[in-house]
Amino acid sequence: MSMNEFDDKTLRERIADNPQPALAWLAGVLVLVALELGRLASGLVQVGETTRFALGGIASVPGSVEESVASSLGEIAGLVAFGLTVLVLLGIAAILVKWLLIPWTLVDRLGIEASTGVKDIIERVIVTGLLVVAAALVVLTPVGGVLEMAVSALTRGVEWVSSLPTITSRELISNEGYQLPDGSWEGTFLGLSPAVAWALRVAVVYAYALVWLAWLWRGYETFREHYREADWTPRDDSINRLRNHYWGMFGLIVVIMFLVMALWAPAVSPATAEANLYQPYEHEFEYYGDDGVESITHGEANSDSRSQGGDTNVGVMSYDNHDRFHPFGTNTDGKDLFTFLAYGAQVSLVIGLLATVLMAVIATALALITAYYKGVTDLVTIVASDSIISLPRFLLVLLLSVLFMQANHPVAEIYDGGLLLALIFAGTGWPLLWRSVRGPALQVSEQEWIDAAKSYGQSPAATMRKHMAPYIAGYMLIYASLSLGGVIIGVAALSFLGFGVQAPTPEWGRAVYEGQSYIATSSWHIATLPGILVVLLVTGFNALGDGIRDAIDPQSEASDGAAGAAGGGG
Amino acid sequence: MSQNAMEANATETEPQVGSSQDDDVMVEVRDLRTYYEGEGLFGGTPVKAVDGVSFDIKRGETLGLVGESGCGKSTLGRTLIQLESATGGEIRFDGTDITTLSGAELKKWRRNAQMVFQDPDSSLNDRMTIGEIVREPLDVHDWKTPRERRQHVKELLDTVGLQREHYYRYPHQFSGGQRQRIGIARTLTLEPEFIVLDEPVSALDVSVQAEVINLLEDLQEEFGLTYLFIAHDLSVVRHICDRVAVMYLGNIMEIGPTEELFANPANPYTHSLLSAIPEPDPSAHKDRITLHGTPPSPRFPPDGCPFSTRCPARIRPPEYEELDNELWVQLDTLREVLRERDRAEKSVTDRIRELLGKEPRFGTIEEIYGELFDEHDVPADVQEILDETADLARDEGEIAALDRLGEEFGSVCEGYDPDPDTGAENEDEDDPVAPEYYTVSPSGRRSFCHRHDPNAEYAEPDQVLDERH
Repeated sequence: MSMNEFDDKTLRERIADNPQPALAWLAGVLVLVALELGRLASGLVQVGETTRFALGGIASVPGSVEESVASSLGEIAGLVAFGLTVLVLLGIAAILVKWLLIPWTLVDRLGIEASTGVKDIIERVIVTGLLVVAAALVVLTPVGGVLEMAVSALTRGVEWVSSLPTITSRELISNEGYQLPDGSWEGTFLGLSPAVAWALRVAVVYAYALVWLAWLWRGYETFREHYREADWTPRDDSINRLRNHYWGMFGLIVVIMFLVMALWAPAVSPATAEANLYQPYEHEFEYYGDDGVESITHGEANSDSRSQGGDTNVGVMSYDNHDRFHPFGTNTDGKDLFTFLAYGAQVSLVIGLLATVLMAVIATALALITAYYKGVTDLVTIVASDSIISLPRFLLVLLLSVLFMQANHPVAEIYDGGLLLALIFAGTGWPLLWRSVRGPALQVSEQEWIDAAKSYGQSPAATMRKHMAPYIAGYMLIYASLSLGGVIIGVAALSFLGFGVQAPTPEWGRAVYEGQSYIATSSWHIATLPGILVVLLVTGFNALGDGIRDAIDPQSEASDGAAGAAGGGG
Repeated sequence: MSQNAMEANATETEPQVGSSQDDDVMVEVRDLRTYYEGEGLFGGTPVKAVDGVSFDIKRGETLGLVGESGCGKSTLGRTLIQLESATGGEIRFDGTDITTLSGAELKKWRRNAQMVFQDPDSSLNDRMTIGEIVREPLDVHDWKTPRERRQHVKELLDTVGLQREHYYRYPHQFSGGQRQRIGIARTLTLEPEFIVLDEPVSALDVSVQAEVINLLEDLQEEFGLTYLFIAHDLSVVRHICDRVAVMYLGNIMEIGPTEELFANPANPYTHSLLSAIPEPDPSAHKDRITLHGTPPSPRFPPDGCPFSTRCPARIRPPEYEELDNELWVQLDTLREVLRERDRAEKSVTDRIRELLGKEPRFGTIEEIYGELFDEHDVPADVQEILDETADLARDEGEIAALDRLGEEFGSVCEGYDPDPDTGAENEDEDDPVAPEYYTVSPSGRRSFCHRHDPNAEYAEPDQVLDERH
């Protein structure tokens, strides 16, 4: 085995030399994509709409700055402010564009001679200039109109694609129908009962997701077998350690289940959110009543299927009076609880992940910076974080969310206040995370390899990233997964008090709140099931955090999960 | 030591240094000072880790740097490769003053000077493979193509006695000696000319030390490297170094060719340091010079010569020349105790005890006297001064007492003018006199001691040491 003399080729060359395994894998990917093309396309449309909304918001900034400056300082000042704001925004955009899209340096191409620092500045100025020209073209010339037309044509195309049937679509495996007096079902998939049809659809969704995962794993194995240079790399060991980490694998499975539930919420829920939760009186369905097949709105049917303890109850795995199947029963309004929870999973996961990721990013960046530079930077951060910690957190969150919602701030409208909540939780939560990792960060900053990196001229940012961040990443995973649970519980608590995500947007905390007075009655499921899901999800994230921490640490040679279970406290 | 005196000192020594070095000088260090600011927000007295050193390093040589722990030798090494920024003075590297470099220029220069660290456990990032560790300097400086980098790293692993397959291993899979080899490979990647070896073998087993030392010697020969070898193991220094600099309290006390310095040390501190080397021959007769007390705090170095508080060959005022050696030791201890008391901050409870007339924490001056002088025969004139000092210490504080003692028992070593009558000549120089570097042998060896002053008639240190020990 000649490990030492690799034929150093790029990945593309290696694939070109032996295309067969790669093509086979790619064909599988295409099949999988084709099966869900419609859903994928509608996801794309959503992302596009969000981007457009965000861009529109950013584009309106210079105008509003101009307006406010002009009203106090006069029109010329307003124009100057407008220009400056545009330049600043384009400058920021230039950094992103340079980082994402231009892998070579324009300065070197143009042959400009200068010292490195000056070169960076010149580079940025050039990119900003190009962006200014592009922006002017779009705004002032017909190019903008052409662009607009192209975008809308593209959107229409994607929308058409999104109307294609998919393997997990509700129409294909329908669970909505009515039972004839002879016991047979009309309108459901193959005449199966709605319960079986729903279970089948859920099974298809999870099977599809699992096949995807398996295929991705297969792709990694193909790469490892046919295209990777080295027989073995450290990552192999990390993956092996994770695979043998049962506690971590448990977490991974729980997290994947929830992710699939959130991503395929429209497919796994027995009714659509639109019909059952948001506009129940505008969507009708058919049922077999006293006079044969009749039509009724979801709203009216819901008033008949309320779960409020005693006899007024539609429990777990049961049908209501209108032949609708409710796997988790209904809630106090008679709405389907599983639909509520599936869409609520989306909300909780998005808010929880967004807040935790933001928090972790802020805390990690600050921990690295304060540990590397120490001194005044550290002191200022200590004062800032102590000030935030000294405020009662939940009260602060409550006040801020009420303030923004009452003022109808535009931020409060995005994602029904979800983005606002995520920002508030991140803004009030980073000091705790930073405190937790400050010690380890200071410890690692004293290691000689930091000095070594400095001695050969490694930049501070790269030193922090390569030589410090990996050592606090383990701690960060643990603490972040703990605080993810905290955020989900916090959002639930806010909803519980009526200030979180507003009805009718589903949120787990509100389900717990609504169901709490029926916990001792036959309608126990309303509060209990979402509560169990919260516990399971939080535990799952903790377990996954443990597993990943043990996997990326080469010194924790396969501890067979035993140590992982004990390390939950971080 | 004061600024003025040092500057005067530096300007005086410069021509002398320049004239003795006409061969190929690579690094010229002039009056280099590295101070660490106080911990508090508002600074405070800085720690003078390196307090005005000047020397040259010739191309291709190995200069040893020895001294006790805390004498500033590591700081000096770190300043030379700009891990610490100098407070003053300059480091000329092939003529460029690198203390003024910054940004891209500094990064470019860093290729020339690298460092091997003391602790191989701490100098390698455990989360990276050996290949990544050794390759990183190349990545930082964008050296050729990634493929050539990998090739280069594998060759280097070969060069330092490891195997090419080790590229994908982790540091914790290696022993201390192997880890140090990895560290050495990393310093070599950028093909530097100058390497600072900061106690490269002190953390290793004795059996491995020799291997690493031999590797370093081989590499020096192969690549024409220049070493600054920092160590406290004198036998290793004697083995590997061409020249040696002896450091004490931020100053270089003596610098010169290794063999000559070891065989015939000139500076009293070098004498004491060398006498601490254990002799393997049990029958060999050797006088160990025991130094009393601990080195002074680098935050408050003594006036005059940095070694004056502990020097076994200190110049004594002629009128007390006949005093017993033992008594001198006690007198030195007394002065050290007074200095300590002066610097120790009194706590609130101490002040209250004092106000209430209770015994302060440190004990009274009588107790100290009792401990120090009870068993000694103190001549009447000395006793008189001691009584006076005790009164001063009680009434006016430690500083006044120290001044009195210094006036009487101090000498040029501690910055007291040897002859008060000639004081007029030094009018513009109100600061104590630091010693100068005197060339003590034809090879250009220099020593930092008043006793070498050709204008004054002091006995040479070795003579004095023979007499006193």
